[in-house]
Amino acid sequence: MINESFIRSMEEIVGKEYVKHSKADMELYSYDASVVPTDMPGVVVFPGTTEEVARVLREAHRAGVPSVSRGFATNLSGGTISHSGVVVALSRLNEILEIHPESRYAVVHTGVTNLELQEAVAPFGMFFAPDPASQKVSTIGGNVGENSGGPRCLKYGVTSNHILGMKMVTADGEIVDVAGPAFDPPGYDLRGLMVGSEGCLGVATEIIVRITPKTESVITMLAIYDEIPHAARSVSEIIRAGIVPLTLEMMDNTIIKAVEMGAPCGYPQDAAAVLIIEVEGMNAGLQEQAEKIEEICMATQCREVRTAKNQAERDLLWKGRRGAFGAICNLSPNYLVNDGCVLRSRLPEALEGVREISEKYGRPVGNVFHAGDGNLHPLLMFDSRHPEELEQAHKAGWGIMEVCAELGGTISGEHGVGHEKQEAMHMIFSGNDLNTQQDVKLALDPDNLLNPGKVIPLPPEGQRRLPPSEPTILRRPGGAAAAGVKEAMGIIKKARSEKKAVRFAGNGTFNGIGNYSETPAQIVDSLQMSEIIEYDNDNQFITAGAGVTLAALQVKLGEKNQWLPIRPSYFTTDSTTGSIVAMAAVGPERVSYGGPRDMLLGLQYIDSTGSMVSAGGKVMKNVAGYDMTRLLNGSLGTLGLITEATWKVATRPETCRMVAAVGSHEKCYAAATKIANSNLLAVSVTMVPEADNWKLVVGFEGLQIVVPSQIKRCAEVMQSIGLAVSGDSEYPLEEGCHTGAFEKIWQSPFVLQADVIIARVLECYLDLERIVRPDQVLLDVACARIHAGFVDLTAEQWKKIDSLVKRCQGHVVVLKASEAFRKSNDVFGSTRPEWKLSHAIKGVLDPDRIFAPGILPGRV
Amino acid sequence: MTVSAYYDDIAKCNKCGFCHVACPIFRTTGHESGVARGRLALLRGIIEKRVEWNEELEDPLFTCLGCGACTTNCFGKIPTTDLVLNARAEYLDKIGKKPAHRLLFEHLLPYPKRLHVAARAVALGKNSGASKVANALGLLRIFGRDLPKAEGMVDKLPMSSFRGTVKPGVYPGTGDKLKIGYFVGCGMDVIQVQAGKATFEVLKTKAKSVTVMDNCCCGLPPYTYGDLGNTKLLARKNLDVFEKLDVDLIVTDCSSCASFLKKYPKIFKDDERDAARANKELPMIKDVVEFLYADEQDGKKSSDEAAGSYHDAHASAPQQLTGTGKGSVIVTYHDPCHAVRGQGIKDESRGILKNLPGVTFKEMAEADWCCGGAGSYALTHYDLSQKVLDRKMKNLKDTDADILVTSCPACMIQLAYGIKRHGMKTKVFHISEMLDYQEQLKARQQ
Ligand SMILES: Cc1cc2nc3c(=O)[nH]c(=O)nc-3n(C[C@H](O)[C@H](O)[C@H](O)COP(=O)(O)OP(=O)(O)OC[C@H]3O[C@@H](n4cnc5c(N)ncnc54)[C@H](O)[C@@H]3O)c2cc1C
Ligand code: SF4
Ligand code: SF4
Repeated sequence: MINESFIRSMEEIVGKEYVKHSKADMELYSYDASVVPTDMPGVVVFPGTTEEVARVLREAHRAGVPSVSRGFATNLSGGTISHSGVVVALSRLNEILEIHPESRYAVVHTGVTNLELQEAVAPFGMFFAPDPASQKVSTIGGNVGENSGGPRCLKYGVTSNHILGMKMVTADGEIVDVAGPAFDPPGYDLRGLMVGSEGCLGVATEIIVRITPKTESVITMLAIYDEIPHAARSVSEIIRAGIVPLTLEMMDNTIIKAVEMGAPCGYPQDAAAVLIIEVEGMNAGLQEQAEKIEEICMATQCREVRTAKNQAERDLLWKGRRGAFGAICNLSPNYLVNDGCVLRSRLPEALEGVREISEKYGRPVGNVFHAGDGNLHPLLMFDSRHPEELEQAHKAGWGIMEVCAELGGTISGEHGVGHEKQEAMHMIFSGNDLNTQQDVKLALDPDNLLNPGKVIPLPPEGQRRLPPSEPTILRRPGGAAAAGVKEAMGIIKKARSEKKAVRFAGNGTFNGIGNYSETPAQIVDSLQMSEIIEYDNDNQFITAGAGVTLAALQVKLGEKNQWLPIRPSYFTTDSTTGSIVAMAAVGPERVSYGGPRDMLLGLQYIDSTGSMVSAGGKVMKNVAGYDMTRLLNGSLGTLGLITEATWKVATRPETCRMVAAVGSHEKCYAAATKIANSNLLAVSVTMVPEADNWKLVVGFEGLQIVVPSQIKRCAEVMQSIGLAVSGDSEYPLEEGCHTGAFEKIWQSPFVLQADVIIARVLECYLDLERIVRPDQVLLDVACARIHAGFVDLTAEQWKKIDSLVKRCQGHVVVLKASEAFRKSNDVFGSTRPEWKLSHAIKGVLDPDRIFAPGILPGRV
Repeated sequence: MTVSAYYDDIAKCNKCGFCHVACPIFRTTGHESGVARGRLALLRGIIEKRVEWNEELEDPLFTCLGCGACTTNCFGKIPTTDLVLNARAEYLDKIGKKPAHRLLFEHLLPYPKRLHVAARAVALGKNSGASKVANALGLLRIFGRDLPKAEGMVDKLPMSSFRGTVKPGVYPGTGDKLKIGYFVGCGMDVIQVQAGKATFEVLKTKAKSVTVMDNCCCGLPPYTYGDLGNTKLLARKNLDVFEKLDVDLIVTDCSSCASFLKKYPKIFKDDERDAARANKELPMIKDVVEFLYADEQDGKKSSDEAAGSYHDAHASAPQQLTGTGKGSVIVTYHDPCHAVRGQGIKDESRGILKNLPGVTFKEMAEADWCCGGAGSYALTHYDLSQKVLDRKMKNLKDTDADILVTSCPACMIQLAYGIKRHGMKTKVFHISEMLDYQEQLKARQQ
């Protein structure tokens, strides 16, 4: 409870000046940008350091006081409203701490705004991809809290795809570093889980963000339509053509008028809709892509396409779009905005549904939205001084969420659940799904003190858990009905009742992954789960049983000229897609396409009680609930048996070509870093020893009109650094250009993978050589990853390597080793404090430790 | 009018938070009470009877700089500054006015002569170190709790005011067309006397005649303190002066005065007769920045015409004043709130400076952010104002400027103080002083 002595202790921690508790102050912290009912906190504190945040939370934990972390409170779902708790206002944590353009990351306090970060990295030719319309006034902490998106997320993905790690404070006030600047650390993907967790799992104080080189140029177009469905068709057709525009934003007539009434931006007021379409990339071929887009638009009954002639025209087009929410004030004092997401192809139906609901409740509506992602933003207008109008707006908002769920979508694509959409979670999740999410929350916050009572619907009076109901609206194909799933559920139920261990396998290619387990375990394989459950090439997703091999999946996708852009390093044609998920397996293309964490839209798995749990969905953006998909990804089968996964798929590149060059390791590395950090958009950049020298291999994939010029410029860079270019060649799409190298490494009895930062790859490798000379090696410079094979590896050498890699800000994992080695060493290296959190989650989701005991980092 | 009269404006706030972007107070305190969204929320709370009039409202109402940056970023263009000022009046009514500022508003500001005498007294005290409390700013401020700390803001005060040397009256100029009235703001009159002289000299080169006006305070200080009665009193006195003049333009070198004089019709909105009088004068009022820029453009045009290249003004050869933009003296500009948001003047100042010979103009980051001076603000809220100033100084440092130019006397004091505190060498110039800046630089070096 908040009483005098609690306030005194807050004042002792942060200083009197930074503790506020007058009535007027509480009024000032009773709201955010949402239209949910306001509520009064008990006290507001403004900590100035991570240490102070930790002390505040420790004290709150001791006193049993709930807390809410707060950026600038621009969230639209009630996420920062507190009932009698302590508001931890992070506005004083506002420094940009480090910028490392050469390793493509920056470290910032969570109170830095998105725009401040953009401005800080711009001089280095870099940008931070997420660009919410509120970027001027939303903090990185808030962006992380909500997993915010923005127009250019169509091409680059949402916040989660650009967060590498963070410093956070746990519910009991402990400071923990989660992940770091190096890719994919061992243990559960806690940073993935933290992103979008709406302040319910921990308070972040510093964030490590990934920054991206700016491309050469951009073309901005305005396509004008007489009918909304025509605009929607253009959207689908453009993406189908294999062009990934930077943005595809739609505004309807109401919004156009509202914007033009305020500050004219040159949108035609008689249009039913306009699209703002932007393409960016290399100069070469960009004009052609723009022309192609124009052609597609005209073929789908567009009235006219205008192209911005200069930066000023471009800015003007965007000014209208960014100000669209605010422009509503020209029509009505207030608005309520929804952010449901549907499949692209169903946009016309969704908009029709929105229109009907708006009429039904008598609340006028305007639509401005991320059409490329199918992410709606209906703005329902009302006057907050009239309670009945507010009520109508809320009802209409609820109705719109229902429409989205009916169309197979989700209730929130970027603004979060908070208070506003809590009950609507039932539309898309089962009681068991929601209980599981709540379990994760309680694993990290056992006393339910962090932003309590948000996101997950509360159980009925007097009950601890939600009843195991089905989702009220969303129907998910597959699940328990898919081939092989029922049997597996039976086995797991039985194992649970007998408290016997089980281990999951695909085709058994990777049975030796993870720590050596003393516990005998029954093997459950996923091979029967070999169905393609749903494939929608129009909307570019596929749901496949975990037993479907990657090769089979690619064949299926190939029929429609699509593919899943992953080439895991040590995979064979037999390896299953389930194992990709369980191992978070990737190859050197991760730097440009991302890993499974970036391509998974949703999945289903069998939990330790033998019940199905669904996570995510099949739409491109989804922030409803905690990110269970990312939690399961890379969990090594320790949380459940993944039965199916839904993947976002891509159009196959027209061509895949690599260019290679030979020279000293210094020169290869110098060229590699230069290329990796340039705007050449290489898909992979690796180097391997060759005879007395090294060979640098750079892959490019994409359109015929672009790739040759990339190759040419890449070769120029190589030459300018003094490498001998040994020519370029086409390579097969499925295999990529590295399979030979990985096969050789895998033949070694010991294989390890170390992740560091780009600037230290070579240094780390050379030091590693001094500890023990690898027999085979590949340096994946762009991913900052060292793959090495050894004839032998002693425990002592392993320890030295582990501390070397840690010094280089990374982590190292032994992927393959002798049984003797595995028995006596933790293959994930020395303990990372964050593993404690992984173990807590494991303990709650699998209390009897029946799933693969002992294999997790820390040998749990 | 009471707060409730503005319910429509206040209800337009959607709590989107966009006003946080450039609110100097919010970016300094990080507290919601410092920003438009918060201030409006409290006003709404008052109207809806959740919040009571009491002293808890003092900070939210009185820490506002009135800089208007929030309105610029607000889609609904909610006029927070005005709403806050109105609420201040109501606050003072309900919670009580402090007597010290009354003295100033009612007994000094309306009477230029009394002001001059007081200034001289204070200057004597200050310059001789005889009086601890005396500092010239006492004339322009509302005495606040932070006053003792603000003492050191002005080193030395002119012994004589501008109008003490150049008496009100008509002076011949060397120009051929215009008759100009020079409105002398209090700050220019008693503190930035040097700059006032520079303006006077410049105007004389441009006009057939320059009338140094016998105006009183424009009324902004009582207005920012929510004292509408005294504001109107001053405005009426000035309108009387205006009406007796025979001039084509009224020019002032204080951007705060200029923006407030342009606002006269609004303060008389319940007062038809005075509003009509104010509206009649409105077209004549010019900020000196506007005037100088327009004059330069005119000059360019006519000489282009002479050269027969009227259609391609930009390609024409540099005029006598035109610099290369690559001089050895680095100059930057601070936008007074009352110029950039008060009057929409931004490009004009750059236009003038970029054209000066021997000058390299370098834009500073956040040039249009308030410096924290905000008239008397620096005195009433010293600590907060200094934090706002620190941010300005950092941006200034990044430009390496030799000269920082602006066009408001209060900004000049605040900026010069900041420069001193941060141990920098940059000189602060009024834009009028820039036209012969080389001479001025020499004079100051001595
Ligand atoms: C006009 C307008 C336009 C918008 N446009 C977009 C848009 O285009 N895309 C989009 O995605 N959103 C948009 N938003 C919503 C909002 O701006 C985003 O959700 C933003 O990321 C919130 O940032 P914030 O700093 O205001 O966070 P807050 O609102 O303060 O917090 C948001 C959530 O994150 C949590 N949180 C904050 N800081 C931390 C931390 N350090 N550690 C842990 N949890 C934390 C909070 O507890 C809360 O649950 C818009 C909002 C408005 C008003
Ligand atoms: S920008 Fe305007 S509408 Fe938005 S919170 Fe500020 S005052 Fe309110
Ligand atoms: S006028 Fe200036 S100080 Fe006052 S709320 Fe607006 S931006 Fe902030």
